[in-house]
Amino acid sequence: MEKFHGVDYYEIEELLTEQERLVRDTARTFVDEQVLPIIRAHHRAGTFPTDLISKMGALGFFGANLTGYGCAGVSNVAYGLMMQELERGDSAIRSCASVQGALVMYPIQTFGSEAQGDRWLPALARGEAIGCFGLTEPDHGSDPAGMTTRAIRVRDGFLLNGAKRWITNGTLADIAVIWAKLDGEVQGFLVERGTPGFQATEMEGKFSFRASVTSELTFNDCLIPEANLLDKAHGLKAPLMCLNQARYGIAWGAVGAAMACYDAALRYALSRIQFGKPIASFQLVQDKLVTMLTELTKAQFLCLRLGRLKDAGRLQHTQVSLAKRNNVAIALDIARLARDILGASGIVDDYPVIRHMLNLETVKTYEGTHDIHTLILGRDITGISALE
Amino acid sequence: MPVNIIVCIKQIIDPEIPASQFKIDPGTKRQVQGSHSLVISAYDQNAIEVAVQLKEKHGGKVTAVSVGGASAATALKSALSMGADEAILVDDPAIVASDQQGIAHVLATATQKVGVFDLILTGCVSGDWGDRAVPAFMAEELGIGCVGFVSRIEAKDGQVVLRRVVEDGYELIEAKTPVLVSIISDETNTPRYPKLKDIMAAGKKTIPVWKAADLGVDSERIGAAAARALITDVYLPVKESKCEMIEGDTPQEQAVKLAARLRELKLI
Ligand SMILES: Cc1cc2nc3c(=O)[nH]c(=O)nc-3n(C[C@H](O)[C@H](O)[C@H](O)COP(=O)(O)OP(=O)(O)OC[C@H]3O[C@@H](n4cnc5c(N)ncnc54)[C@H](O)[C@@H]3O)c2cc1C
Repeated sequence: MEKFHGVDYYEIEELLTEQERLVRDTARTFVDEQVLPIIRAHHRAGTFPTDLISKMGALGFFGANLTGYGCAGVSNVAYGLMMQELERGDSAIRSCASVQGALVMYPIQTFGSEAQGDRWLPALARGEAIGCFGLTEPDHGSDPAGMTTRAIRVRDGFLLNGAKRWITNGTLADIAVIWAKLDGEVQGFLVERGTPGFQATEMEGKFSFRASVTSELTFNDCLIPEANLLDKAHGLKAPLMCLNQARYGIAWGAVGAAMACYDAALRYALSRIQFGKPIASFQLVQDKLVTMLTELTKAQFLCLRLGRLKDAGRLQHTQVSLAKRNNVAIALDIARLARDILGASGIVDDYPVIRHMLNLETVKTYEGTHDIHTLILGRDITGISALE
Repeated sequence: MPVNIIVCIKQIIDPEIPASQFKIDPGTKRQVQGSHSLVISAYDQNAIEVAVQLKEKHGGKVTAVSVGGASAATALKSALSMGADEAILVDDPAIVASDQQGIAHVLATATQKVGVFDLILTGCVSGDWGDRAVPAFMAEELGIGCVGFVSRIEAKDGQVVLRRVVEDGYELIEAKTPVLVSIISDETNTPRYPKLKDIMAAGKKTIPVWKAADLGVDSERIGAAAARALITDVYLPVKESKCEMIEGDTPQEQAVKLAARLRELKLI
């Protein structure tokens, strides 16, 4: 296949720093050489390419925008560009980096003790340990405040009971960041693999995120040592802060998936001959391609500005909601348009389009569904909550 | 024994763009960059990899040198991210439009200014013009040996063993240092991806910019006026295909006519 050269209709390249470009290029080459050649087989088999974990760790992809503990401390724009490239490969790869960095390393660094940081962060950064984040439950998705997983204080620590569902990397994880209520308040606990009473099982039958591991976790009188409490995390705000970090990466990631679909559609339209000429010669096809490029370009600018605001420490979580909501929605639209342009070829995995299209259905739902973000933004601009 | 290595790298327009997007400026007879990205010429990346591996094994220092415009600083940052210790940009309008001998002269003076070195590495062929001349001209200028198309280097006490790729295998050449070696790719020198941490560290390094005057370059030998090779025309090859039917009543007759026609066209 021809090399991917990025989609840059507005010369956004010029707005990036040298470091940002180099980080993007490392991720781009990594995806071209290590992800794209193997992802189809994993998608078919429903397996995650676990041998990429240590490679991503060695390159510094995990927690890349964090500082200390062996993390690279790249700018948030560089981090975003990396996420864009990873998701151009597959949402599963980006999700693995999102969960590890934003949902596991970030809370340990932000809410954990020094000892927890020393023990877990360097290993997580190198990809020698894998983490997962358990907030969603079978009966509580968009409404995590209603969670029923509970911890009670006992002599040696805490006893944890409950269940989490849809947990990315659950069965692979060495360490699970689990959110549970302690005396009615949401708190974070580090649950180590092998803790008696903790079980993780892989969920089957997915048509989306097939190359990602999604798990169900159960906790049955799990004894969690006192030292494994994230003792600076109090209330639902803590996991929401983590989600805000992850959603930031998703806003960029969606652009990557959209780029892959647009790129495939454009190439296909130029080479596929019908009625004696390339289908790209037909106005209706051009209209689709132009719509795709326009939305993609707008999403790129949204990301760049979002990243600059984050780097300046001025980012509002509602701005992240807007970008996550918009970029995932347009990426899904672009994937569907690309699927359409490819005709029957659009439904087979010879092209990346159907894989991205199916993945984006998950991305639309997780980390706050499209509609939940609508309501978050609605509340912000009107002052009236339509959420509860 | 530590090895001090200078790697000469060239920044070029990404050669892997689709042919349909390749445009030539009729005035300058050069490729138009347009929105295409700039990359380090492919074999030069292998040369950086060889240098960094040698340094990792034996200690020493790797210095990357590039002759180019301001944008070539990005190529040098990339070399630093891959593990080069220092990088130098030679950027001077007077050098623009020099031919290979001019560039070799500039690079030779630049390496002399860098100072002591055991090895100078370059790519074996440039990814834009397909040139292979600069390494040899440079070695001549410096009065040192030159071995081309080498894929692996082993260093031992004041000499190096070079694995030079030839048509039907390879030759092992022992050479005294300092020596100039042009590098060809093989599975042992695939350029590494710069790690994010190393990109950050490279970002903090400054890249000195040298002018022709800083190097004692002979101004008579650089620039368009000094060029001994003149490019008179550059064009995109036009691919044409046509179909010719070979007539004949029997397969034998057709085969004979086909063979005759192929011979006529000097294809067999
Ligand atoms: C592949 C995959 C990986 C995941 N990984 C993780 C993970 O690692 N960790 C984790 O904790 N979770 C994870 N999730 C779970 C994900 O975050 C939830 O699925 C998501 O929060 C939505 O919850 P739900 O599926 O229970 O849907 P529900 O909350 O039941 O929502 C169903 C529908 O109702 C709508 N709805 C709900 N409430 C309202 C309202 N107030 N107003 C209007 N509409 C509303 C929603 O928008 C949606 O359309 C993952 C999910 C998937 C599919």
